[in-house]
Amino acid sequence: MRTADVNTINVAFEVNGKPYNIHVEPHKTILEVLRDDLNLTGAKQGCEDGNCGACTIIMNGKAVKCCSLLIGQARDATIITIEGLEGDNGLHPLQKAFIDHFAIQCGFCTPGMIMAAKAILDENPNATEDDIREGMHGNLCRCTGYVKIVEAVEAARDQMLAGGKA
Amino acid sequence: MKFDYYFEPSSLDECVHLMNEYGPDARLLAGGTDLVVKMRNRLVKPKAVVSLNQVKELSRIHTVDDGLKLGAMVRLMDISKSDILTGAWEVVKNGAGHVSSMQVRNIGTIGGNSCNASPSADTVPCIMVLYALVNIRGPKGDRDVLLEKFFTGPGKTVLERGEVVVGFTIPNFGKENGTAYKKYAIRGDTDIAIVGVGARLRVDSHGSVTEARLVLGAVAPVPLRVPDVESMLTGNKLDDELIAKAAVAAGEACNPISDARATAGYRREMIRVWVKHVLGEAYAKATGK
Repeated sequence: MRTADVNTINVAFEVNGKPYNIHVEPHKTILEVLRDDLNLTGAKQGCEDGNCGACTIIMNGKAVKCCSLLIGQARDATIITIEGLEGDNGLHPLQKAFIDHFAIQCGFCTPGMIMAAKAILDENPNATEDDIREGMHGNLCRCTGYVKIVEAVEAARDQMLAGGKA
Repeated sequence: MKFDYYFEPSSLDECVHLMNEYGPDARLLAGGTDLVVKMRNRLVKPKAVVSLNQVKELSRIHTVDDGLKLGAMVRLMDISKSDILTGAWEVVKNGAGHVSSMQVRNIGTIGGNSCNASPSADTVPCIMVLYALVNIRGPKGDRDVLLEKFFTGPGKTVLERGEVVVGFTIPNFGKENGTAYKKYAIRGDTDIAIVGVGARLRVDSHGSVTEARLVLGAVAPVPLRVPDVESMLTGNKLDDELIAKAAVAAGEACNPISDARATAGYRREMIRVWVKHVLGEAYAKATGK
């Protein structure tokens, strides 16, 4: 597709089960579109250079840092953001576990942490502590540390393995 | 980070045509994990961005009679988990698995990791010790360039106007070849390498090295092959003494800079340490010990 000499491109994709078809300036990142155009402000704008992981979303089943992806890269993609986790039975086990285990302090890193954790557990429901730490080392928490966060992910894993609603 | 034109060609030829038309004002978008950040920080200011994301033929990884074909758009995560990469090729899995975080590997590509032309790129020493050929498509047709001749400086390659990297060809290696790559960084893999070291050693039945390849990352303007050290190893059995001598020589052969991550002196010292580990591991694999 050639889109020269126009100021916007047309991109269709799905976010949290809802289809979108938008006209957007191609220099916008997926994060900017989510936050500014779709009012989904769960994914956070942190370092903006792919280090901190606060903008982590799940795109086509894989965790990505959407601050460093252009909106054109979302063409025909299926995206899940933190806003899409809550189900009919309330919070997702990961969200619940983060609260129950005090894995949140200021909360800025939390949406990215939970989406990274979801991607890890989706791929490997039996992920060990090492697997979880390896998968989440691209997510930074600047408040305190990672012990409570890892505990929360392990608790959510155990709950989901025991048949808790995902 | 505004740019004037954004293209998503679905064919490689159209891509070449666009890159030729816009020349130095155009940038190719593969995964974007480097390009988008560079554009935001205004380190590059292209007028046109040409996305490779709809050129599906570039995302294949497969074997052919005389080796392996790695498409430029194969994601680093897929490489790090590929069942095809066994034996000496396994080093490529290792390198790809050490690039940054899960999220970046999910989207970053093997072609981008090379074409970004960072001296610290983790996959480059790994495929360079395997004699990787860069497959290039351009306005004048196809050509292959040996990867070690591909880089001309930080961020710079031999690519000419309109040329696009299509992928890499890597030859077959017998089990008498052992390979290893190690990255040293402060913040684990998420961080950029302070030093990276890749090696391939081929040995004969007596354990003597018949061919050596040693490539150092992050210690020169380009990923650096060190022929002097390679010839020091060739024809000999590796013992602790020779490995130590080679490590010192590698430290002397490199030309590191001081930056936010480490001083030049520290990098040189770390080359000595990691060359030892890498040669030991590659030799153990080659000799089956």
